Amino acid sequence: MSEDGKMVTATIDNIEVNVPEGTTILNAAKSVGIKIPTLCHHDDLKPKGLCRICVVEIEGYRNLQTSCTLPLSEGMVINTNSHQVRRARRDLVDLELSNHTGTCYTCNRSRNCTLRELADECGVTEFRFGEKQKADHEIEDSGLFIVRDMNKCIQCRNCERACKELQAVGAYGIKDRSNKIKIAAFADKELEETVCINCGQCITHCPTGALSVKDETEKVWDAIENPKKHVVIQTAPAPRSAIGECFGNDPGEEAMTFQLATALRRCGFDKVFDTTFTADLTIIEEATELLIRLKKALVDKDESIALPQFTSCSPGWIKYLEHFKPEMIPNVSSAKSPQQMFGAVIKTYYAQKNNINPDDIVSVALMPCVAKKFECSRPEMTDSGYKDVDIVLTTEEAAQMIKEAGMDLRKVPKSEYDAPFGASTGSGVIFGATGGVMEAALRTAIELITGLKAEDLFEHANITPVRGFEGSRIAEVTIDKVGAVPEILKAHFNDWEWLKGATLKVGVAHGTANANKVLADIEAGGPFSECHFIEFMGCPGGCLAGGGMPRPVNMDVREARAKILYDEDMHYEYRKSHENPEVAHLYQEFFTEGPCSHKAHDLLHTHYTARGVIID
Amino acid sequence: MYIPNHDDINKFLSEAEQQHAMERKSIIPLLQATQRKYGFVPEYAMQKIGVMLGISSAEVYGVATFYSFIEVEPKGKYHIALSIDMPSKMAGVDDVAKRLEKDLGIKMGETTYDLMFSLEWTGCVGISDMSPAMIINEKIFPSITPEKASEIVKKLRHGEPVETEIPQSFTNDLSFDQVEKNSGLKNALELSPEEVRNLVKDSGLRGHGGAGFPTGMKWDFCANAEGDKKYVVCNADEGEPGCFKDMLIFSRFADKVIEGMTVAGYAVGADEGILYLRWEYAFMKEKLEEILEEKRAANMLGNKICGKDDFNFDIRLYFGAGAYVCGEETALIESIEGHRGEPRNKPPFPVTDGLFGKPTNVNNVETFAWVPCILAKGSEWYNSAGTENSKGYKLFSISGDCNKPGVFELAWGMSLNDIVELVDAKDPKAIQIGGYSGQLVPKKDFDRVLSYEDLATGGSVIIFDKSRNLYDIAENYLEFFIEESCGQCTPCRWGNTALLNHVEKMRQGKATRKETKDIETLSETMVLTSKCGLGQTSPNIVKNLMNDFADQL
Repeated sequence: MSEDGKMVTATIDNIEVNVPEGTTILNAAKSVGIKIPTLCHHDDLKPKGLCRICVVEIEGYRNLQTSCTLPLSEGMVINTNSHQVRRARRDLVDLELSNHTGTCYTCNRSRNCTLRELADECGVTEFRFGEKQKADHEIEDSGLFIVRDMNKCIQCRNCERACKELQAVGAYGIKDRSNKIKIAAFADKELEETVCINCGQCITHCPTGALSVKDETEKVWDAIENPKKHVVIQTAPAPRSAIGECFGNDPGEEAMTFQLATALRRCGFDKVFDTTFTADLTIIEEATELLIRLKKALVDKDESIALPQFTSCSPGWIKYLEHFKPEMIPNVSSAKSPQQMFGAVIKTYYAQKNNINPDDIVSVALMPCVAKKFECSRPEMTDSGYKDVDIVLTTEEAAQMIKEAGMDLRKVPKSEYDAPFGASTGSGVIFGATGGVMEAALRTAIELITGLKAEDLFEHANITPVRGFEGSRIAEVTIDKVGAVPEILKAHFNDWEWLKGATLKVGVAHGTANANKVLADIEAGGPFSECHFIEFMGCPGGCLAGGGMPRPVNMDVREARAKILYDEDMHYEYRKSHENPEVAHLYQEFFTEGPCSHKAHDLLHTHYTARGVIID
Repeated sequence: MYIPNHDDINKFLSEAEQQHAMERKSIIPLLQATQRKYGFVPEYAMQKIGVMLGISSAEVYGVATFYSFIEVEPKGKYHIALSIDMPSKMAGVDDVAKRLEKDLGIKMGETTYDLMFSLEWTGCVGISDMSPAMIINEKIFPSITPEKASEIVKKLRHGEPVETEIPQSFTNDLSFDQVEKNSGLKNALELSPEEVRNLVKDSGLRGHGGAGFPTGMKWDFCANAEGDKKYVVCNADEGEPGCFKDMLIFSRFADKVIEGMTVAGYAVGADEGILYLRWEYAFMKEKLEEILEEKRAANMLGNKICGKDDFNFDIRLYFGAGAYVCGEETALIESIEGHRGEPRNKPPFPVTDGLFGKPTNVNNVETFAWVPCILAKGSEWYNSAGTENSKGYKLFSISGDCNKPGVFELAWGMSLNDIVELVDAKDPKAIQIGGYSGQLVPKKDFDRVLSYEDLATGGSVIIFDKSRNLYDIAENYLEFFIEESCGQCTPCRWGNTALLNHVEKMRQGKATRKETKDIETLSETMVLTSKCGLGQTSPNIVKNLMNDFADQL
């Protein structure tokens, strides 16, 4: 876009358009309500002009031009639907179809495949250039989270571009050329044998069924149908903001929080818990850890203490750090993610309390995330003596189960989550959006340290400086006065005097490309190096646009889902993690020595593995 | 041949680190060096190169697998590649292939168990007048026969050295011989850059790579583009089958090319020139480096050239790694930057947004070679020859069914009948003008004229006599385009295959009228929507068959 605000005027389909200089023809057309079909285009990614579907006719140009790449210039006369254009589009879609194998009925994208929609919109009513009968590629599904069926791939490279541009991972490359081209991981290995961080952004950016989440619903049904098993499910905050989309809702239409509790119970889960419970627990553990680090660094002048402290709840982010910046692993909070804390608590505290053999518990987690499938399989995630979480379902998989059970989620009555982990707070809910963990942490930190209410500092306790979708952000809170140390923290602190007058600096970054920039900034001694605590989310937008969330995902969708979560937050009785009565109860009954105690460390904390980028 | 261990690779790459800038642009040179050392690029080396240059190993892998002369699997110590272009086919390359398959006990595309020999097809090698051609590692063997090939392989197996020499192509009298070294550059430096550009414009010189864009006008665009740094790039990726004039220019007049690039540097305000050569021309490296050194010693390159205070210009060589599409100027630029050779969207054009985002003037080898001649002899000397819109002279590489193949300097405006006479072609039935991406002209149209007004060409002329089968020709062309398409855009990636399938159906007499109609439409779609010239011109042969040879099918 032009910086001097220059505008250009042109004609598209006889409509005059006036847009800032630099606007692509595609976006200019959109601004006057003309939809030009696209296939390889994605608003999140830099335009490449690969599929050529978006071609338009421009007076004075010999050939058709791709509207996604070409900026509008003054006086252009453009036709988006001439005979030439329509015929070309039809041929192009037909060419893709002639090299696309797989049956639409059984495809995971039968409901929302861009290629299928285009075939309809462009009038492809027969296969003019042949129909591919035989699959050329073996389906790759030996890993934990992804199924890659390259027979359905249309080489739009959205996966490769998302992995590079949004995530700065570069797990995908383009192998060979011409009709042998294959979107491949390094040396054509299975993706999960490489530096892949399991974030699943490739899946959410795929326009066809080529990439999908590894389906584990059958495993869950088997457990449910096994009378010996006690099957519990925890539900993360983000899925409730989007699962309605799988049933025909528009993004942002309605939160499905309490319909979900009913539907899952009707599917046969013995207990339906809310992960926001351990989100709150995470806040307590992580905030305590931060205060301990700060005290050691500021009061004890211990130079070995790594600051800023990084959040640890996003497993995509964690694997990113392990591969690309292992030297900064000491900065990561040792607190497990809410999912894994939940798993550890269920197979210990919950099992004991309810007199259930942990071996008979099947612990399922409904997550917005595919990296969680990897996380629960990490060898270190067995502190309960068992696999802490057995199976992770993504939002789309859960929707599939609910459909299979014959329900339309939108029409299911609401019900509460089950005790003893059913109480949630607004803070736990906003974990699903970028900045949410930091906001929750700040609300709690402010209140525990100053004795004031978060509302005294921020209207309605909405800490808006950490909200939004900017790639990275910094916020500050000055601690003018300090209060008494609350009971729960007395094992670690006598007073807060050492914090009086201090300014707490926090940072937020989402999408690992942004995370990468923040890490580089810290290394270079930039503004983020002065932060005390930084929230990192692996996926752009945070969990609400995670790799296991309904497709498609774009900026409008992210905003709509975020709005749901922030609206929900306002309606909770408790809006701060330390107010969660069930969390307080857990510390009274089980982690009796408080947060970051020996027992808490045994069950609620973990360690990480330096992996590097060279993989043998 | 051995699979190197990590320590060995680490040692090799840490030495290589001293010789290359640790930037993305060094990726292809590093892959080539690794391959030269080990015969292929091991996985571990690709990962290390990625770490050294700060790019992901998947991307290194993507670059490595794009180029046909970079191998990621162990290959034979001797990598034998046979040229599969039509002139080689006509000269019996298939018999050579059969003989080698028999001698080595492997099929084309395979490697012997002892990892001594690999056997593969390759595109046009650049000596169509001495077809068929064979390349072993970096050596080119002309006019190969089954017997010669067998003898060479026998020697290699016994560890005996094999030498090769490429005879000069036959030529007529060439203007390049009449122009004294450096006289054009010296004349140019007497003028202002604008005056040089005007002189080139007056001469009517157009790009000799094939597209024929007016050279002086391109120089103006580049000179007037904003940029703190500008580049001059010479496109020596001569890959158009049947084109070998650039090879001849390098063997006899390389100094003219360098001189022309230097003049262009002066005219557009660039201080860096890059001579991009196709991998097949790697054997010329030493000789070209020598010429560059001589020029530097004579102050014809380097700082303050010819004592001109504000004119610094130097040239470096850059070798491609086997990709026809890199003859497309933006693909070539991508390749120099260290990417897969995938053409960019245009606009913007290289003259404003070229190499590393800077204004870049890309011209063909021959275009640069004419520049010092024009500056030495004057623009009128050049523009007095030729036709209204095709001024001056041009080199034509003529091969195929004729008795006098070679490189001919001709004024624009000759008819194909003139060509038939010139090279003594008996019973020609069709002539391919402009390489595979050009036009196949039937005998009835041999009064057509070589010129931008009628038959534009980069200079490749292949003659087919009446014994040749049109389907063989069309299938060979389309197989070539399928092999060489970069594959990024849909029409070219899948379109060429659809065209080939249809030609095969036509040969079998199974193509229905409707299918033929659909393919005609598809050809048009490919022309209208392909990202670059490759997919825009590959349907030409199909259109030719349907329109110009319908009576002969």
